Amino acid sequence: MLADVLEQLVHGLTLGSMYAMVAAGLALMLGVARLINFAHGEFFMLGAYAFWYGYRELGLPYPLAGVLAVALMVVWGVVYQRTVIRAILPRSWHVQLIATLATSIVLTNLAIIVFGTQPKEVPTALSSTILDVGGFRLVWQRLLVLAGALAIFWGLHRFVSRTRAGRAMRAMSQNREACAVVGVDVQHVAMITFALSAALAAAAATLVSPLFNIFPDMGTGLTLKAFAAVVTGGFGYVNGAIAASFLIGITEALAGSYLSYAYKDAFAFIIMIGVLLWRPQGLFGRRLGI
Amino acid sequence: MRLVLTLILVVLAALPPLTSAQAPPIKVGFASAMSGPAAITGEGVRWGGTLAVEEINAKGGVAGRKIEAYFADNKATPGEAVSAVRKLADVDKVDVIIGQTHSGACLGAMPVVKEIGVPMVIESCSHADIRKLSGKGGNEWTFRVALDDEIMAHTFARHMAAKGVKTSSILAMNNDFGRGAAAAYDAAFKKANIKLASTEFFDPGQPDYRPVLTRLKRAGAETILGIILASDGAPFMRQFRELGLTQKVYSRGSLASAEFLHQVKDNPKVGDGVVEAGYWVAGLDPEWDRKWEERHKVPPRIHGSLAAITFKHAVVPALEIAIKKGKVDRAGIRAALTEVDVKDSPLGPIKFDANHQAWINMILLEMQDGKIRILEKLPTSPALLN
Amino acid sequence: MRVLVRVAVAGVAVAAPWIVAAIAPGQQRYIVHVLIFTALFAALALSYDLIVGHVGALSLAHPAFFGVGAYTAAIASTRGGWPFLADVAGAVALAGLVAALAGIPLFRLTEHAFAVGTLGFALVAWIVATNWVDVTRGPLCITGIPKPVTTLPAWYWLALTALGLVLLLYRGMTTFRLGRAMHAVRDNEPLAAAAGIDPLRYRMLAFVVGGALAGGVGALYAHYLSVFCPEEMTVALTVNMLVIVFLGGVGTLRGVLVGAVLFTALPEILRLAPTWRLVIYGLLLLVIVIRSPEGLSGLVRGRAR
Repeated sequence: MLADVLEQLVHGLTLGSMYAMVAAGLALMLGVARLINFAHGEFFMLGAYAFWYGYRELGLPYPLAGVLAVALMVVWGVVYQRTVIRAILPRSWHVQLIATLATSIVLTNLAIIVFGTQPKEVPTALSSTILDVGGFRLVWQRLLVLAGALAIFWGLHRFVSRTRAGRAMRAMSQNREACAVVGVDVQHVAMITFALSAALAAAAATLVSPLFNIFPDMGTGLTLKAFAAVVTGGFGYVNGAIAASFLIGITEALAGSYLSYAYKDAFAFIIMIGVLLWRPQGLFGRRLGI
Repeated sequence: MRLVLTLILVVLAALPPLTSAQAPPIKVGFASAMSGPAAITGEGVRWGGTLAVEEINAKGGVAGRKIEAYFADNKATPGEAVSAVRKLADVDKVDVIIGQTHSGACLGAMPVVKEIGVPMVIESCSHADIRKLSGKGGNEWTFRVALDDEIMAHTFARHMAAKGVKTSSILAMNNDFGRGAAAAYDAAFKKANIKLASTEFFDPGQPDYRPVLTRLKRAGAETILGIILASDGAPFMRQFRELGLTQKVYSRGSLASAEFLHQVKDNPKVGDGVVEAGYWVAGLDPEWDRKWEERHKVPPRIHGSLAAITFKHAVVPALEIAIKKGKVDRAGIRAALTEVDVKDSPLGPIKFDANHQAWINMILLEMQDGKIRILEKLPTSPALLN
Repeated sequence: MRVLVRVAVAGVAVAAPWIVAAIAPGQQRYIVHVLIFTALFAALALSYDLIVGHVGALSLAHPAFFGVGAYTAAIASTRGGWPFLADVAGAVALAGLVAALAGIPLFRLTEHAFAVGTLGFALVAWIVATNWVDVTRGPLCITGIPKPVTTLPAWYWLALTALGLVLLLYRGMTTFRLGRAMHAVRDNEPLAAAAGIDPLRYRMLAFVVGGALAGGVGALYAHYLSVFCPEEMTVALTVNMLVIVFLGGVGTLRGVLVGAVLFTALPEILRLAPTWRLVIYGLLLLVIVIRSPEGLSGLVRGRAR
């Protein structure tokens, strides 16, 4: 019984890691650029296909394919910021929501046209090797996802607190107008934020795709859950989004296993609605900044 | 601005369709889910329909008449199915429709084909109501080639019982196919004295089976009946092995399929031991499989292949009958369909009964070591409904 | 002059089935079917625009109300034997009630959280519709919903009548004092509140009326197709509504009607492969949302971010 619960907990942490990496990117964009990006799940999807391309089509070793995926998505993040985002950043958030939703539709359907509907599999050595600890079994890849996520969050924290770019991001998330006044290049910081968000999504995809499969629609559900995490954690607060993501992942695993598997995907939103009813500003309140 | 954009789109879209200047071609429409989450099925139907029509035309058509294929998107919903049928019938003016792949779409389309008076031959909707409503059930214009689980469940359950199975859990797709099948097997297990330990539903496309695998383990049944397609089956079986589960897996859908083996080609043993009941598998028509793989570089898919077989072995024979009688219009084709009597299609005999249901063969498959072999081919008949 | 134009448009709309029969007799049924969908989607879009365009609340919950209405009518008529008008009335009432109950907690949220909250609500509604098989039959759909009228032109006039009623209600609510109050809430909430206009009251009013009307359209839709499945109330419907409303001109009657016509007529003209069609929709929506000078900037006139 205990082994069972433990197993679901570990699984929930894996799920949570995936949600957290995606939600962190979303929260960054929201916190720094005040931007709602409904196409964020497609960042994850594109990152997954980029990884697939490097790993299966080019035959690169796993870590290199991952690096390629991240690099390609950084480029994508910059392109996205320079085209779509620049046009909608000064507009109302209604416009931003609808424009990014439209982008999501375009990207998903272009992916169907370019990559086809047949799902792609990217098994790695770690996703095929099973670790058996006294009857408790899981593939090594799941541990990699968890370790990778922790490493990435540590790296993100260092970047935001130690580097100049990171400090500029924090400043911009707290007071945009003041930043412009003291000479911070707002567009440049926005570009870095987008590149970083895209890189996070690509890293998540590289870690997680060997466990599941890759198909054009895979980002849609993820966007919604990431939003649920971001809203639950407190809009624009990255650590809040990460914490909420783990909460959602663990709840899905436990509730899906003990309560109802059919309603598994509803739990993220039930949590979100519950938290919002109790604290409309999210779990961590109205914190200023990322 | 909006006006300009709209005009551009109208111009772009008004490309004239191809026309041929010989004896009037016979127009066949194919409807399936060409966009949306189920787009993989519609893509298959489009590929299968195109390939099959090309094949027939390469032989000179049907009694010298060429076939023109038209396609429409039903988005797997009844509303869009109505639009798709009307577009095919009123705009493209097809003489016969093959479709709709998904039960919601089939149910939406059925009243419309009756109203318009265009025959529709269903290649794979699995809702049992379709059989009950067709032919003498009220709708003379709809025909079905595929079997549904009410037909197959008792046979499959008896097979499982004969192998000594006493308990089972069902894991089914949360759609019309899965729900219908789960209900049918619930009843069939009771009659076969197999205890149903639990029933679980999952959303197609969702890749995370760990929580449900733990539930299945906890339910303690000795077998699992998976009602699942290849694209979901691949992550499911990988995670099944990861968890070290040992139940025997039976399935309905396309788990034991070339498509599945393609998805798990890095480790085909993931699928070992799965026994599936169905009515189509790659290998029934090797020539067809070869042509498909040559064109599309992936193994043949079930819905596309069913659409092709429906066209070649139900619709084409009907067209031949209609041409002989000199009545090649919608009503003539409908009447001809009731006379179709094909003995040797890849699926088995195709002859529509009073409910316009064809009693094709049921097949039992086993997947082992990266190969699929046919264990048994069982003829079906209305007697199986009891 | 303007009255003359309006009467002419109304006349053409009513006479449409005959006009179509004269111009394109072979395709008459198909075109009238498209017109029926156009009228229903126009009515739905107007009900949506009340909320999005006139009080400025970006709700993504509309599919839930549409679905509640459709299922109410479907279940009441197939299992309860209710006559058509009764089950449509029931649909409108229940959808409105659900909107009221949902609105109370949702309107406590700030704008962004409100949007995501309504989205979550719509998703949970869909999940319930798919899994509460005892009531909705889930993916097996509710079939055999009786049709109050059988010919296509009759259905068209029924849909047109419904559109007319929704249109009148929309007009009534968005003009005169009520309309001005709603617009005040949309454009400058603090000022409106200071002037004694309670934002919450007007938002809830739009939300509940919009939701109730959506339920009514859902009921008609279910009767027209005689089958209703959970797939009809997914997020895709919200996307369609957004396209119609923003393509045409949010917050304006004419804009929404134009959007509905464009949106339903376009795909039937477009013979491109279905997936490309969606790519074009997305691009169209993107370009228009970014570039359109009226509509959207009218919506956010004076609204602080």
